[in-house]
Amino acid sequence: MAGKSSVAAIYFAILGIVTTAFGIADILVTAGASEFAYGILEIPGDIFRGGWGGVIVFFAGLFYLSGARNLEDIHQFSKIVMGSILIWIMAGCDIFAMITESIPSWEEETGPWFNTLPDFIAAYAPPYAPAVLLLPFSLVVVYYIRKRNQEI
Amino acid sequence: MKLTIDQRWDLIDKIAKQTVTFGEYRHTLKDAIGELTVKPFTGIPIAIAVMYAFWSIFGSFAGFFTDGFFVRLFDAYWLPWLQEVFPGQGGWLYAIMVDAGGIEGGEFVLSDNCLESFGVLTSGIFVAIGVVLPAIVIFYLMLALLEDIGYMPRLAVLIDTMLHKIGLHGYAIVPTILSLGCNVPGVTATRILETKKQRFIMMTLLAIFIPCGAQIGIMQDVIPGLMGWILLYLIIGYFIFGYILNKIVPGKAPEFLIDVPPYRRPMLSNIGKKVWGRITGFFKVAIPFVLLGAAIVGVLYQIGVIRFLGDALAPVFVGWFGVPKETAGPLIAAFLRKDLAVAQLSVIEMTEYQMITAVVLVSIYFPCVATFAMMLKEGWKELLGAMAVLVVVVFAYGGLIHLIGILLGVA
Repeated sequence: MAGKSSVAAIYFAILGIVTTAFGIADILVTAGASEFAYGILEIPGDIFRGGWGGVIVFFAGLFYLSGARNLEDIHQFSKIVMGSILIWIMAGCDIFAMITESIPSWEEETGPWFNTLPDFIAAYAPPYAPAVLLLPFSLVVVYYIRKRNQEI
Repeated sequence: MKLTIDQRWDLIDKIAKQTVTFGEYRHTLKDAIGELTVKPFTGIPIAIAVMYAFWSIFGSFAGFFTDGFFVRLFDAYWLPWLQEVFPGQGGWLYAIMVDAGGIEGGEFVLSDNCLESFGVLTSGIFVAIGVVLPAIVIFYLMLALLEDIGYMPRLAVLIDTMLHKIGLHGYAIVPTILSLGCNVPGVTATRILETKKQRFIMMTLLAIFIPCGAQIGIMQDVIPGLMGWILLYLIIGYFIFGYILNKIVPGKAPEFLIDVPPYRRPMLSNIGKKVWGRITGFFKVAIPFVLLGAAIVGVLYQIGVIRFLGDALAPVFVGWFGVPKETAGPLIAAFLRKDLAVAQLSVIEMTEYQMITAVVLVSIYFPCVATFAMMLKEGWKELLGAMAVLVVVVFAYGGLIHLIGILLGVA
């Protein structure tokens, strides 16, 4: 168990460092009033998603880092879970925005009401915001929650 | 027989050993997360995330229905159809009910969208159904979810210290958030506060500084880029004038004791009932006032009252608030239709800072008629007091925003 726990601690510590870095990048890009895109990563520059959202991603990283030590303790583990919940909130909002933007056509009065299939699918193509990229890695916590429940 | 303090404790221990059975208490993950959400260092980031999600989902959902479908439905189909079938084009009844239009080159020109037509059947219904309904549905849905999960009491605990500075306590967050949907249930919810002083402060702050769902929906629609600044000015004003009111209003502001429940899985039927009750309540109380307000504003425009007042008060608006004289009309009409006043402001040519000032003025201006009626129900003395505060706040805060703009070189 101790071995597995140290693996988890290393995993969440690394995830914490990456998440914190993404949060800081979000805040810096917003402070520079610009957007940043590289490969599948896109950091929005608006004050709401980039600024406020950046602060949340940053705190998610801090929760991971703070909780990574002594994971057997429920209070420490709860910080890890909370870090993941913050990422789910951010990513969930981004994905919900993608869904609502992908359905209407957004064309002027004469166009069709609904989006065409290629445009609908294109709405889900990369690049993605940092929280969406972090989402699959944050889901690992579900495994540890289930494991903990089984042990109890 | 008289026992010493130690003997009493011994006796209590003996009785407890014989009568109380202690089981093993295991701290669950839910308990630990519950604790994280009320401690300031961890609770505040979580509260920021919850509020972020609240407004992000609100914006996406409302934008999806309003901009994605309702704007087109009303502007491309409903407005042209009514403009064609409603008799008496150019007449006063047509202007009030369908389209006030405009004059271009000496000729009457019809409006091409529902936000600018200002008719009861066009702008009135578009705002009620196309803008407010989606905003209210998602707002109350999110609020019901937070209540049922058990997050609201935690938010109350977190914000308690801050609200004590303005004579309120943590539970004042409930009427404040409710008012962001509609000021009417917000004013009703002030009854959860214990003293007259607290209720007066809360009601006054709600009426002045909390924009309703209709107004937020319109702001989101016509000036989305400026919303952050406008809300920032309103939040700062909420605390500045709350602090002043706490100092000058006599009465007590007691502490509160709150039982923080554990997190629970929300029940769909419960949420459905809550949302349905609040939406129907909103439609019964607020919508008739919205439509009546549209009709009254239309009549006042037609008989020239708004223009007269606008001209008379223009020097105050230009000199004191630093906004163009054209904004006088919408600002006066804002008493009856705050949402449409924002729409009217959006088509006036002015700088970004003037737009922020004008929309903040609309927000802190008289509450809408529905809220006015609710405040009257709470007591005419309170209403008169709130109105007196409001007049002072409008002039002081409006002038202060202008002054800040001058100092920053943007006004």
